[in-house]
Amino acid sequence: MTTTEDRRLPFPRPNILELAPLYEALRREAPVVAVTTPAGDPAWLVTRFDEVKQLLGDKRFGRSHPAPEQASKINRAAVLEGPSGNYETEAADHSRMRRLLTPAFSAKRMNRLSGDVQALVDGCIDRMVAAHDTDPVVDLHALLALPMPIGVICALLGVPEEDAPLFRDLSDRMGTASGADAHAAREEFGRYVTRLAEAKRANPGQDVISDLVAAQAADETFGYAEMTRLAVGLIFAGHETTVNRIGLGVLFLMTRRQHWDDLVADPSRVNATVEEIMRLGAPGDLGLVRYAHEDVSVAGVDIARGDALVLSINAANRDPGEYGAAEEFDPDRPERAHLGFGHGAHFCIGASLARVELRTVFATLARRLPDLRPAAELDELDVRTGHITGGVTTLPVTW
Amino acid sequence: MHIEADQEKCVGAGQCVMAAPELFDQRDSDGVVEVLVSDPADSQAAQAREAELTCPAAAITVTAT
Ligand code: HEM
Repeated sequence: MTTTEDRRLPFPRPNILELAPLYEALRREAPVVAVTTPAGDPAWLVTRFDEVKQLLGDKRFGRSHPAPEQASKINRAAVLEGPSGNYETEAADHSRMRRLLTPAFSAKRMNRLSGDVQALVDGCIDRMVAAHDTDPVVDLHALLALPMPIGVICALLGVPEEDAPLFRDLSDRMGTASGADAHAAREEFGRYVTRLAEAKRANPGQDVISDLVAAQAADETFGYAEMTRLAVGLIFAGHETTVNRIGLGVLFLMTRRQHWDDLVADPSRVNATVEEIMRLGAPGDLGLVRYAHEDVSVAGVDIARGDALVLSINAANRDPGEYGAAEEFDPDRPERAHLGFGHGAHFCIGASLARVELRTVFATLARRLPDLRPAAELDELDVRTGHITGGVTTLPVTW
Repeated sequence: MHIEADQEKCVGAGQCVMAAPELFDQRDSDGVVEVLVSDPADSQAAQAREAELTCPAAAITVTAT
Protein backbone atom coordinates (compact mmCIF):
# COMPACT_ATOMS: atom_id res chain seq x y z
CA MET A 1 0.00 0.00 0.00
CA THR A 2 1.04 3.60 0.36
CA THR A 3 3.72 4.90 2.71
CA THR A 4 3.10 7.26 5.59
CA GLU A 5 4.54 10.11 3.54
CA ASP A 6 1.99 9.43 0.76
CA ARG A 7 -0.58 9.48 3.44
CA ARG A 8 -0.06 13.04 4.48
CA LEU A 9 -3.21 14.93 5.39
CA PRO A 10 -5.08 16.62 3.86
CA PHE A 11 -5.62 14.25 0.92
CA PRO A 12 -6.35 16.12 -2.31
CA ARG A 13 -10.03 15.96 -3.22
CA PRO A 14 -11.62 16.24 -6.66
CA ASN A 15 -13.99 19.03 -5.60
CA ILE A 16 -15.70 20.47 -2.58
CA LEU A 17 -18.58 17.98 -2.62
CA GLU A 18 -16.50 14.81 -2.92
CA LEU A 19 -13.89 13.27 -0.66
CA ALA A 20 -10.43 12.06 -1.66
CA PRO A 21 -10.77 8.58 -3.24
CA LEU A 22 -8.07 7.31 -0.86
CA TYR A 23 -10.62 7.29 1.98
CA GLU A 24 -12.55 4.54 0.24
CA ALA A 25 -9.47 2.27 0.11
CA LEU A 26 -8.45 3.06 3.68
CA ARG A 27 -11.92 2.34 5.04
CA ARG A 28 -11.83 -1.05 3.36
CA GLU A 29 -8.23 -2.06 3.99
CA ALA A 30 -6.83 -0.05 6.87
CA PRO A 31 -9.51 1.59 8.98
CA VAL A 32 -6.90 2.68 11.54
CA VAL A 33 -3.78 3.76 9.71
CA ALA A 34 -0.60 5.73 10.37
CA VAL A 35 -0.57 9.10 8.61
CA THR A 36 1.40 12.32 8.69
CA THR A 37 -0.53 15.37 9.89
CA PRO A 38 -0.45 18.65 7.95
CA ALA A 39 2.01 19.84 10.61
CA GLY A 40 4.33 16.92 9.70
CA ASP A 41 3.81 14.78 12.80
CA PRO A 42 2.57 11.18 13.13
CA ALA A 43 -1.06 10.36 13.88
CA TRP A 44 -3.58 7.57 13.44
CA LEU A 45 -6.31 8.24 10.91
CA VAL A 46 -9.59 6.45 11.60
CA THR A 47 -12.05 6.20 8.72
CA ARG A 48 -14.70 3.57 9.40
CA PHE A 49 -18.06 4.49 10.94
CA ASP A 50 -17.98 1.89 13.70
CA GLU A 51 -14.49 2.75 14.94
CA VAL A 52 -14.98 6.52 14.67
CA LYS A 53 -18.21 6.32 16.64
CA GLN A 54 -16.74 3.95 19.19
CA LEU A 55 -13.68 6.15 19.74
CA LEU A 56 -15.76 9.32 20.08
CA GLY A 57 -17.65 7.60 22.88
CA ASP A 58 -14.51 6.25 24.61
CA LYS A 59 -13.35 8.11 27.70
CA ARG A 60 -9.79 6.80 27.34
CA PHE A 61 -9.28 9.45 24.67
CA GLY A 62 -9.32 13.19 25.24
CA ARG A 63 -8.43 16.57 23.81
CA SER A 64 -5.57 17.13 26.23
CA HIS A 65 -2.19 15.39 26.27
CA PRO A 66 -0.29 13.98 29.27
CA ALA A 67 2.91 15.73 28.05
CA PRO A 68 1.73 18.45 25.65
CA GLU A 69 5.23 19.50 24.55
CA GLN A 70 5.75 15.98 23.14
CA ALA A 71 2.36 15.74 21.46
CA SER A 72 1.95 15.45 17.70
CA LYS A 73 0.87 18.75 16.22
CA ILE A 74 -2.06 18.51 13.86
CA ASN A 75 -1.91 21.62 11.72
CA ARG A 76 -0.56 25.16 11.52
CA ALA A 77 -3.80 27.00 12.18
CA ALA A 78 -4.75 28.21 15.65
CA VAL A 79 -7.74 25.83 15.81
CA LEU A 80 -7.31 22.04 16.09
CA GLU A 81 -3.59 22.60 16.06
CA GLY A 82 -2.73 20.15 18.78
CA PRO A 83 -3.75 19.20 22.29
CA SER A 84 -5.91 21.63 24.23
CA GLY A 85 -6.77 22.02 27.87
CA ASN A 86 -5.12 20.66 30.95
CA TYR A 87 -4.58 16.89 31.25
CA GLU A 88 -5.21 16.78 35.00
CA THR A 89 -8.42 18.81 34.92
CA GLU A 90 -9.80 18.04 31.46
CA ALA A 91 -12.76 15.97 32.62
CA ALA A 92 -13.80 18.49 35.30
CA ASP A 93 -13.30 21.49 33.01
CA HIS A 94 -15.30 19.83 30.28
CA SER A 95 -18.26 18.91 32.45
CA ARG A 96 -18.34 22.44 33.86
CA MET A 97 -18.40 23.78 30.32
CA ARG A 98 -21.26 21.46 29.31
CA ARG A 99 -23.23 22.27 32.47
CA LEU A 100 -22.81 25.95 31.84
CA LEU A 101 -23.61 26.04 28.15
CA THR A 102 -26.05 23.20 27.54
CA PRO A 103 -29.10 24.95 29.02
CA ALA A 104 -28.45 28.07 26.94
CA PHE A 105 -28.50 25.98 23.74
CA SER A 106 -31.23 23.48 24.69
CA ALA A 107 -33.48 22.23 21.93
CA LYS A 108 -36.54 23.86 23.49
CA ARG A 109 -34.88 27.27 23.67
CA MET A 110 -33.59 26.93 20.14
CA ASN A 111 -37.02 25.96 18.82
CA ARG A 112 -38.38 29.05 20.55
CA LEU A 113 -35.86 31.12 18.60
CA SER A 114 -37.29 29.88 15.29
CA GLY A 115 -39.28 33.08 14.79
CA ASP A 116 -36.17 35.25 15.18
CA VAL A 117 -34.19 33.02 12.85
CA GLN A 118 -37.01 33.19 10.32
CA ALA A 119 -36.98 36.99 10.47
CA LEU A 120 -33.23 37.06 9.90
CA VAL A 121 -33.47 34.65 6.97
CA ASP A 122 -36.30 36.66 5.42
CA GLY A 123 -34.28 39.85 5.79
CA CYS A 124 -31.33 38.23 4.02
CA ILE A 125 -33.50 36.94 1.19
CA ASP A 126 -35.15 40.37 0.85
CA ARG A 127 -31.67 41.78 0.26
CA MET A 128 -30.92 39.04 -2.29
CA VAL A 129 -34.11 39.93 -4.13
CA ALA A 130 -33.26 43.65 -4.06
CA ALA A 131 -29.73 42.94 -5.37
CA HIS A 132 -31.24 40.81 -8.14
CA ASP A 133 -33.10 43.88 -9.43
CA THR A 134 -29.81 45.51 -10.43
CA ASP A 135 -27.71 42.43 -11.26
CA PRO A 136 -29.23 39.01 -11.97
CA VAL A 137 -26.21 37.25 -10.45
CA VAL A 138 -26.34 37.38 -6.65
CA ASP A 139 -23.75 36.18 -4.13
CA LEU A 140 -25.63 33.86 -1.79
CA HIS A 141 -22.56 33.50 0.41
CA ALA A 142 -22.23 37.22 1.13
CA LEU A 143 -25.95 37.93 1.39
CA LEU A 144 -27.29 34.86 3.21
CA ALA A 145 -24.86 32.09 4.22
CA LEU A 146 -22.58 34.49 6.09
CA PRO A 147 -24.80 37.20 7.63
CA MET A 148 -27.58 34.93 8.90
CA PRO A 149 -25.55 32.72 11.30
CA ILE A 150 -23.56 35.79 12.34
CA GLY A 151 -26.79 37.61 13.22
CA VAL A 152 -28.03 34.64 15.23
CA ILE A 153 -24.83 34.09 17.18
CA CYS A 154 -24.46 37.82 17.92
CA ALA A 155 -27.94 37.90 19.41
CA LEU A 156 -27.42 34.77 21.52
CA LEU A 157 -23.96 35.56 22.78
CA GLY A 158 -24.55 39.29 23.19
CA VAL A 159 -21.88 40.31 20.69
CA PRO A 160 -22.49 43.71 19.03
CA GLU A 161 -23.27 43.22 15.35
CA GLU A 162 -20.99 46.07 14.36
CA ASP A 163 -18.11 43.88 15.57
CA ALA A 164 -18.94 41.21 12.98
CA PRO A 165 -16.34 42.32 10.39
CA LEU A 166 -13.68 42.15 13.11
CA PHE A 167 -14.48 38.69 14.50
CA ARG A 168 -15.17 37.37 11.03
CA ASP A 169 -11.68 38.39 9.92
CA LEU A 170 -10.13 36.99 13.10
CA SER A 171 -11.99 33.67 12.72
CA ASP A 172 -10.88 33.38 9.12
CA ARG A 173 -7.24 34.02 9.99
CA MET A 174 -7.31 31.82 13.07
CA GLY A 175 -8.56 28.88 11.00
CA THR A 176 -5.98 29.31 8.25
CA ALA A 177 -2.92 27.06 8.35
CA SER A 178 -0.50 29.97 8.32
CA GLY A 179 1.43 29.49 11.57
CA ALA A 180 2.34 32.89 13.00
CA ASP A 181 -0.56 34.86 11.59
CA ALA A 182 -3.10 32.33 12.87
CA HIS A 183 -1.65 32.68 16.36
CA ALA A 184 -1.55 36.47 16.14
CA ALA A 185 -5.25 36.36 15.19
CA ARG A 186 -6.06 34.11 18.13
CA GLU A 187 -4.31 36.45 20.53
CA GLU A 188 -6.12 39.44 19.12
CA PHE A 189 -9.36 37.47 19.40
CA GLY A 190 -8.54 36.86 23.07
CA ARG A 191 -8.04 40.59 23.67
CA TYR A 192 -11.27 41.40 21.86
CA VAL A 193 -13.21 38.89 23.97
CA THR A 194 -11.61 40.26 27.15
CA ARG A 195 -12.86 43.76 26.31
CA LEU A 196 -16.28 42.32 25.59
CA ALA A 197 -16.33 40.33 28.84
CA GLU A 198 -15.39 43.39 30.88
CA ALA A 199 -18.11 45.42 29.18
CA LYS A 200 -20.59 42.68 30.17
CA ARG A 201 -19.32 42.62 33.73
CA ALA A 202 -20.03 46.35 33.98
CA ASN A 203 -23.31 46.04 32.20
CA PRO A 204 -24.65 42.45 32.11
CA GLY A 205 -27.23 41.42 29.54
CA GLN A 206 -29.46 38.42 28.87
CA ASP A 207 -26.83 36.61 26.85
CA VAL A 208 -24.36 33.75 27.00
CA ILE A 209 -21.21 35.87 27.40
CA SER A 210 -22.76 37.65 30.40
CA ASP A 211 -23.58 34.21 31.86
CA LEU A 212 -20.01 33.05 31.32
CA VAL A 213 -18.61 36.14 33.03
CA ALA A 214 -20.90 35.66 36.02
CA ALA A 215 -20.10 31.93 36.26
CA GLN A 216 -16.37 32.58 36.14
CA ALA A 217 -16.59 35.20 38.88
CA ALA A 218 -18.52 32.80 41.12
CA ASP A 219 -16.23 29.77 40.71
CA GLU A 220 -12.59 29.92 41.77
CA THR A 221 -11.70 26.79 39.80
CA PHE A 222 -12.92 28.48 36.62
CA GLY A 223 -9.94 30.46 35.29
CA TYR A 224 -10.22 33.70 33.36
CA ALA A 225 -8.20 32.29 30.46
CA GLU A 226 -10.52 29.28 30.26
CA MET A 227 -13.51 31.64 30.12
CA THR A 228 -12.09 33.71 27.26
CA ARG A 229 -11.05 30.53 25.41
CA LEU A 230 -14.65 29.31 25.63
CA ALA A 231 -16.03 32.63 24.41
CA VAL A 232 -13.67 32.65 21.41
CA GLY A 233 -14.63 29.04 20.71
CA LEU A 234 -18.33 29.86 20.77
CA ILE A 235 -18.02 32.81 18.41
CA PHE A 236 -15.87 30.74 16.05
CA ALA A 237 -17.87 27.50 16.17
CA GLY A 238 -21.12 29.43 16.27
CA HIS A 239 -20.78 30.78 12.77
CA GLU A 240 -17.94 29.17 10.72
CA THR A 241 -19.53 25.72 10.61
CA THR A 242 -23.06 26.86 9.87
CA VAL A 243 -21.95 29.28 7.14
CA ASN A 244 -20.20 26.41 5.37
CA ARG A 245 -23.08 23.99 5.67
CA ILE A 246 -25.44 26.51 4.05
CA GLY A 247 -23.07 26.92 1.08
CA LEU A 248 -22.49 23.19 0.72
CA GLY A 249 -26.19 22.45 1.05
CA VAL A 250 -27.03 24.86 -1.76
CA LEU A 251 -24.34 23.25 -3.93
CA PHE A 252 -25.56 19.72 -3.21
CA LEU A 253 -29.12 20.67 -4.10
CA MET A 254 -28.18 22.71 -7.18
CA THR A 255 -26.09 19.86 -8.58
CA ARG A 256 -28.82 17.32 -7.79
CA ARG A 257 -31.75 19.26 -9.13
CA GLN A 258 -34.33 16.58 -8.49
CA HIS A 259 -33.83 16.90 -4.75
CA TRP A 260 -34.28 20.66 -4.95
CA ASP A 261 -37.45 20.26 -7.00
CA ASP A 262 -38.71 17.69 -4.48
CA LEU A 263 -38.09 20.13 -1.65
CA VAL A 264 -39.85 22.95 -3.51
CA ALA A 265 -42.83 20.67 -4.10
CA ASP A 266 -42.91 19.35 -0.54
CA PRO A 267 -41.45 21.62 2.17
CA SER A 268 -41.97 18.90 4.79
CA ARG A 269 -38.89 17.23 3.28
CA VAL A 270 -36.68 19.93 4.77
CA ASN A 271 -35.63 18.08 7.93
CA ALA A 272 -34.49 14.98 6.07
CA THR A 273 -32.78 17.16 3.46
CA VAL A 274 -30.85 19.01 6.15
CA GLU A 275 -29.72 15.73 7.75
CA GLU A 276 -28.38 14.58 4.39
CA ILE A 277 -26.52 17.88 4.02
CA MET A 278 -25.09 17.29 7.48
CA ARG A 279 -24.05 13.74 6.60
CA LEU A 280 -22.35 14.48 3.28
CA GLY A 281 -21.22 18.06 3.78
CA ALA A 282 -17.50 17.92 4.49
CA PRO A 283 -16.02 21.40 4.45
CA GLY A 284 -12.85 20.68 6.42
CA ASP A 285 -10.36 18.05 5.29
CA LEU A 286 -9.21 16.71 8.63
CA GLY A 287 -11.44 15.27 11.30
CA LEU A 288 -11.90 15.38 15.05
CA VAL A 289 -8.71 15.23 17.07
CA ARG A 290 -8.09 13.11 20.17
CA TYR A 291 -5.09 11.94 22.18
CA ALA A 292 -4.91 8.49 23.78
CA HIS A 293 -4.81 8.73 27.56
CA GLU A 294 -4.02 5.00 27.86
CA ASP A 295 -2.62 2.25 25.65
CA VAL A 296 -5.58 0.99 23.62
CA SER A 297 -5.96 -1.53 20.80
CA VAL A 298 -8.44 -0.57 18.08
CA ALA A 299 -9.32 -2.75 15.08
CA GLY A 300 -6.13 -4.74 15.67
CA VAL A 301 -3.88 -1.67 15.85
CA ASP A 302 -2.00 -0.84 19.05
CA ILE A 303 -2.34 2.80 19.98
CA ALA A 304 0.04 4.04 22.67
CA ARG A 305 -0.73 6.53 25.42
CA GLY A 306 -0.09 10.00 24.03
CA ASP A 307 -0.66 9.07 20.35
CA ALA A 308 -2.71 11.47 18.26
CA LEU A 309 -5.85 10.34 16.44
CA VAL A 310 -7.66 12.05 13.60
CA LEU A 311 -11.19 10.69 13.50
CA SER A 312 -12.56 11.29 10.02
CA ILE A 313 -16.26 11.92 10.50
CA ASN A 314 -16.35 12.76 6.79
CA ALA A 315 -15.17 9.27 5.81
CA ALA A 316 -17.31 7.61 8.48
CA ASN A 317 -20.42 9.40 7.22
CA ARG A 318 -19.90 7.79 3.79
CA ASP A 319 -19.07 4.30 5.01
CA PRO A 320 -20.82 1.71 2.81
CA GLY A 321 -20.80 -0.58 5.85
CA GLU A 322 -23.23 1.83 7.50
CA TYR A 323 -25.12 3.45 4.62
CA GLY A 324 -26.61 1.93 1.47
CA ALA A 325 -25.41 3.85 -1.65
CA ALA A 326 -23.33 5.85 0.81
CA GLU A 327 -22.08 8.46 -1.68
CA GLU A 328 -25.59 9.27 -2.92
CA PHE A 329 -27.46 12.31 -1.66
CA ASP A 330 -30.72 10.72 -0.61
CA PRO A 331 -32.96 12.37 2.00
CA ASP A 332 -35.24 9.33 1.92
CA ARG A 333 -32.58 6.92 3.08
CA PRO A 334 -33.55 4.73 6.04
CA GLU A 335 -30.29 5.30 7.94
CA ARG A 336 -31.05 8.50 9.83
CA ALA A 337 -28.07 8.92 12.15
CA HIS A 338 -24.73 10.47 11.20
CA LEU A 339 -21.63 11.84 12.90
CA GLY A 340 -21.80 15.35 11.42
CA PHE A 341 -22.21 16.88 14.88
CA GLY A 342 -19.85 14.39 16.49
CA HIS A 343 -20.85 11.77 19.05
CA GLY A 344 -20.48 11.13 22.75
CA ALA A 345 -19.31 13.56 25.41
CA HIS A 346 -18.27 16.32 23.00
CA PHE A 347 -21.38 16.15 20.83
CA CYS A 348 -21.97 19.60 19.36
CA ILE A 349 -23.59 21.95 21.84
CA GLY A 350 -24.93 24.05 18.99
CA ALA A 351 -26.55 21.17 17.08
CA SER A 352 -30.13 22.19 17.83
CA LEU A 353 -29.36 25.78 16.94
CA ALA A 354 -27.62 24.76 13.72
CA ARG A 355 -30.59 22.58 12.80
CA VAL A 356 -33.06 25.40 13.37
CA GLU A 357 -30.90 27.68 11.21
CA LEU A 358 -30.40 25.17 8.39
CA ARG A 359 -34.05 24.07 8.32
CA THR A 360 -35.21 27.67 8.19
CA VAL A 361 -32.76 28.60 5.44
CA PHE A 362 -33.58 25.70 3.12
CA ALA A 363 -37.34 25.79 3.70
CA THR A 364 -37.40 29.53 3.02
CA LEU A 365 -35.14 29.40 -0.03
CA ALA A 366 -37.31 26.68 -1.56
CA ARG A 367 -40.46 28.67 -0.88
CA ARG A 368 -39.26 32.11 -1.94
CA LEU A 369 -36.73 31.32 -4.71
CA PRO A 370 -37.92 28.06 -6.28
CA ASP A 371 -36.12 28.83 -9.56
CA LEU A 372 -32.76 29.25 -7.82
CA ARG A 373 -29.83 28.00 -9.88
CA PRO A 374 -26.05 28.29 -9.77
CA ALA A 375 -24.38 31.04 -11.80
CA ALA A 376 -20.93 29.40 -11.77
CA GLU A 377 -19.60 25.90 -12.34
CA LEU A 378 -18.55 23.91 -9.30
CA ASP A 379 -14.87 23.96 -10.30
CA GLU A 380 -14.93 27.74 -10.82
CA LEU A 381 -15.79 28.40 -7.19
CA ASP A 382 -13.11 29.78 -4.92
CA VAL A 383 -12.65 27.25 -2.13
CA ARG A 384 -10.76 28.13 1.04
CA THR A 385 -7.88 25.66 1.04
CA GLY A 386 -5.43 25.33 3.90
CA HIS A 387 -8.31 26.35 6.12
CA ILE A 388 -9.57 24.22 8.96
CA THR A 389 -13.25 24.60 8.15
CA GLY A 390 -12.90 25.15 4.38
CA GLY A 391 -15.96 26.27 2.46
CA VAL A 392 -16.44 28.64 -0.46
CA THR A 393 -15.71 32.37 -0.42
CA THR A 394 -18.46 33.33 -2.88
CA LEU A 395 -21.50 31.50 -4.19
CA PRO A 396 -22.96 33.16 -7.30
CA VAL A 397 -26.58 32.19 -7.94
CA THR A 398 -29.41 33.47 -10.07
CA TRP A 399 -33.12 32.77 -10.71
CA MET B 1 -43.74 0.62 24.27
CA HIS B 2 -41.67 1.97 27.14
CA ILE B 3 -39.01 4.68 27.27
CA GLU B 4 -36.15 4.87 29.76
CA ALA B 5 -33.58 7.67 29.84
CA ASP B 6 -30.33 7.49 31.80
CA GLN B 7 -29.75 10.96 33.24
CA GLU B 8 -26.21 10.08 34.29
CA LYS B 9 -25.18 9.23 30.74
CA CYS B 10 -27.01 12.17 29.13
CA VAL B 11 -24.75 14.85 27.62
CA GLY B 12 -27.56 17.35 27.08
CA ALA B 13 -27.39 17.34 23.31
CA GLY B 14 -31.14 17.78 22.93
CA GLN B 15 -31.30 15.38 19.99
CA CYS B 16 -34.26 13.59 21.56
CA VAL B 17 -36.20 16.84 21.93
CA MET B 18 -35.54 17.63 18.27
CA ALA B 19 -36.70 14.14 17.25
CA ALA B 20 -39.65 13.75 19.60
CA PRO B 21 -40.66 17.00 21.32
CA GLU B 22 -43.82 15.45 22.77
CA LEU B 23 -41.90 12.66 24.47
CA PHE B 24 -38.75 14.36 25.79
CA ASP B 25 -37.67 17.60 27.39
CA GLN B 26 -34.44 19.02 28.78
CA ARG B 27 -34.22 20.26 32.37
CA ASP B 28 -33.93 24.04 32.41
CA SER B 29 -31.10 24.01 34.94
CA ASP B 30 -28.62 21.73 33.17
CA GLY B 31 -30.12 20.54 29.88
CA VAL B 32 -30.33 16.94 31.06
CA VAL B 33 -33.05 14.76 29.53
CA GLU B 34 -36.49 14.31 31.05
CA VAL B 35 -38.96 11.79 29.72
CA LEU B 36 -42.37 13.43 29.35
CA VAL B 37 -44.26 10.32 28.28
CA SER B 38 -42.68 7.04 29.32
CA ASP B 39 -45.33 4.83 27.75
CA PRO B 40 -46.19 6.52 24.45
CA ALA B 41 -48.84 5.52 21.95
CA ASP B 42 -47.90 3.28 19.04
CA SER B 43 -48.36 6.24 16.72
CA GLN B 44 -45.33 7.83 18.40
CA ALA B 45 -43.12 4.77 18.04
CA ALA B 46 -41.14 6.08 15.08
CA GLN B 47 -40.30 9.32 16.92
CA ALA B 48 -39.26 7.44 20.04
CA ARG B 49 -37.02 5.11 18.03
CA GLU B 50 -35.43 8.05 16.26
CA ALA B 51 -34.62 9.65 19.60
CA GLU B 52 -33.07 6.39 20.79
CA LEU B 53 -31.04 6.04 17.61
CA THR B 54 -29.72 9.58 17.44
CA CYS B 55 -28.84 10.04 21.11
CA PRO B 56 -25.08 10.70 21.11
CA ALA B 57 -24.69 9.25 24.58
CA ALA B 58 -26.80 6.12 24.03
CA ALA B 59 -28.80 7.24 27.07
CA ILE B 60 -32.24 6.35 25.73
CA THR B 61 -33.73 2.87 25.61
CA VAL B 62 -37.03 2.10 23.96
CA THR B 63 -38.53 -1.32 24.58
CA ALA B 64 -41.62 -2.98 23.19
CA THR B 65 -44.24 -3.74 25.83
C1 HEM C 1 -23.73 23.07 11.01
C2 HEM C 1 -23.12 23.60 12.02
C3 HEM C 1 -22.23 22.87 13.00
C4 HEM C 1 -21.48 21.74 12.83
C5 HEM C 1 -21.32 20.92 11.58
C6 HEM C 1 -20.84 21.48 14.10
C7 HEM C 1 -20.02 20.39 14.35
C8 HEM C 1 -19.47 20.07 15.58
C9 HEM C 1 -18.74 18.86 15.87
C10 HEM C 1 -18.43 17.75 14.88
C11 HEM C 1 -18.40 18.90 17.19
C12 HEM C 1 -17.63 17.82 17.96
C13 HEM C 1 -16.18 18.18 18.16
C14 HEM C 1 -15.38 17.07 18.80
O1 HEM C 1 -15.92 16.03 19.17
O2 HEM C 1 -14.15 17.23 18.91
C15 HEM C 1 -18.87 20.15 17.71
C16 HEM C 1 -18.67 20.59 19.00
C17 HEM C 1 -19.07 21.83 19.46
N1 HEM C 1 -19.86 22.74 18.79
FE1 HEM C 1 -20.59 22.56 16.93
N2 HEM C 1 -21.18 22.44 14.99
C18 HEM C 1 -22.04 23.32 14.37
C19 HEM C 1 -22.64 24.44 14.91
C20 HEM C 1 -22.36 24.94 16.16
C21 HEM C 1 -22.95 26.13 16.70
C22 HEM C 1 -23.98 27.01 16.00
C23 HEM C 1 -22.42 26.31 17.92
C24 HEM C 1 -22.79 27.46 18.81
C25 HEM C 1 -22.67 27.66 19.93
C26 HEM C 1 -21.49 25.19 18.18
C27 HEM C 1 -20.75 24.99 19.34
C28 HEM C 1 -20.02 23.85 19.61
C29 HEM C 1 -19.29 23.64 20.85
C30 HEM C 1 -19.19 24.61 22.02
C31 HEM C 1 -18.70 22.36 20.76
C32 HEM C 1 -17.80 21.68 21.79
C33 HEM C 1 -18.57 20.69 22.59
C34 HEM C 1 -17.70 19.89 23.54
O3 HEM C 1 -16.48 19.85 23.40
O4 HEM C 1 -18.28 19.29 24.47
N3 HEM C 1 -21.51 24.38 17.09
N4 HEM C 1 -19.55 20.83 16.72
